Amino acid sequence: MQCSKCGNPKVIYKREQSGQLLCKDCFIESIEKKAIKTIKKEKLLDKGDKVLVALSGGKDSVTTLEILDSFRQRNIIDLCAVTVDEGIANYRQDGVDIATRHAERLGIEHKVVSLKEDYGITLDEIMQRENHKGSCTYCGVFRRTIINKAAREMGATKIATGHNLDDEVQGIMMNYLEGNTDNLTKLGAKTESKAKEFTVKIKPLREIPEREIGLYVVAKELEVHFDSCPYAMQSFRGEVSEVINQLSEKHPTIKYSTLRGYDKIKNILKKEMKKEYAHGRCARCGEPSSNELCKACSFLEELGL
Amino acid sequence: MSFTLKYKNLNEEREIPNDDYTIKDLLTEMELSPQTVVSKQNGELVIEDTIIEDGDEIQLVQIIYGG
Repeated sequence: MQCSKCGNPKVIYKREQSGQLLCKDCFIESIEKKAIKTIKKEKLLDKGDKVLVALSGGKDSVTTLEILDSFRQRNIIDLCAVTVDEGIANYRQDGVDIATRHAERLGIEHKVVSLKEDYGITLDEIMQRENHKGSCTYCGVFRRTIINKAAREMGATKIATGHNLDDEVQGIMMNYLEGNTDNLTKLGAKTESKAKEFTVKIKPLREIPEREIGLYVVAKELEVHFDSCPYAMQSFRGEVSEVINQLSEKHPTIKYSTLRGYDKIKNILKKEMKKEYAHGRCARCGEPSSNELCKACSFLEELGL
Repeated sequence: MSFTLKYKNLNEEREIPNDDYTIKDLLTEMELSPQTVVSKQNGELVIEDTIIEDGDEIQLVQIIYGG
């Protein structure tokens, strides 16, 4: 057994979909090349961009930072990072510390924003309230608002997130199964909003399977926070993910074909199905909102904050 | 014929039950999906088809968590 590319007998990975065998160096190179190919193909970066990485300290965001840093080193872009501290005891602090160490290692501007400081409440405290809407609902909305604000404050022209192939395919299937055509129009490598306050979002890892990103950080000996969020529960996403992974065992190319199929119809979907929002402003915080209050502020009101 | 298994807080000596006993066999025994872990043999990353030898140290690193 030897590396299909260089002949090295120390193979660390077998690509089920192609049978390709890779040694450590060729595997690392293949991941970086794949992300760079997505960046070029989807025109995710422009020279002079200041990219804000949403950096949790987990494998996906650390890999995103590592790959984008190669563009920073070549003076193509500038890089900064934001870490959101949701206030989850015995979980989040490790990720915050790891994110901080990566930002220091690379010498990039880094900001840690906590829910407690911004909204006066932690996710743990929200979860102690009666009739809460579930942890992921608050976490997703507050995190998105915080990251958007940070992008404006730090002068970022793009926000990079660590969404991988598995995340994207789950998103496509979930929205399709739920008949959520509006959300289906919002997926893709690059998300632009008509509201200028919303910075363009990019996903450089969207064609890389989650497992390969996990192996990449171990192979590169990058420090990451490998842990499970204590609020992770049997969500619909989890169920969809399980079905897709089961199908992938016999059909190893299925995640790629789902993504390719979506990409082929994406533009038609956007043209036909995208809702035209009245770009108003939230009466409470001034963020873009189609309703009187933005989602984050309506949650705050409900929580009596 | 035995090997050392390291996984999370586990650090134990295990018997090699048969010839050609692979990491994949070990994962099946432990009910772990090869999709969620990567394996190291004596400190070096290896694929799951690798045969476990006498005296090996096998480390399993969980890389995918739910949620």
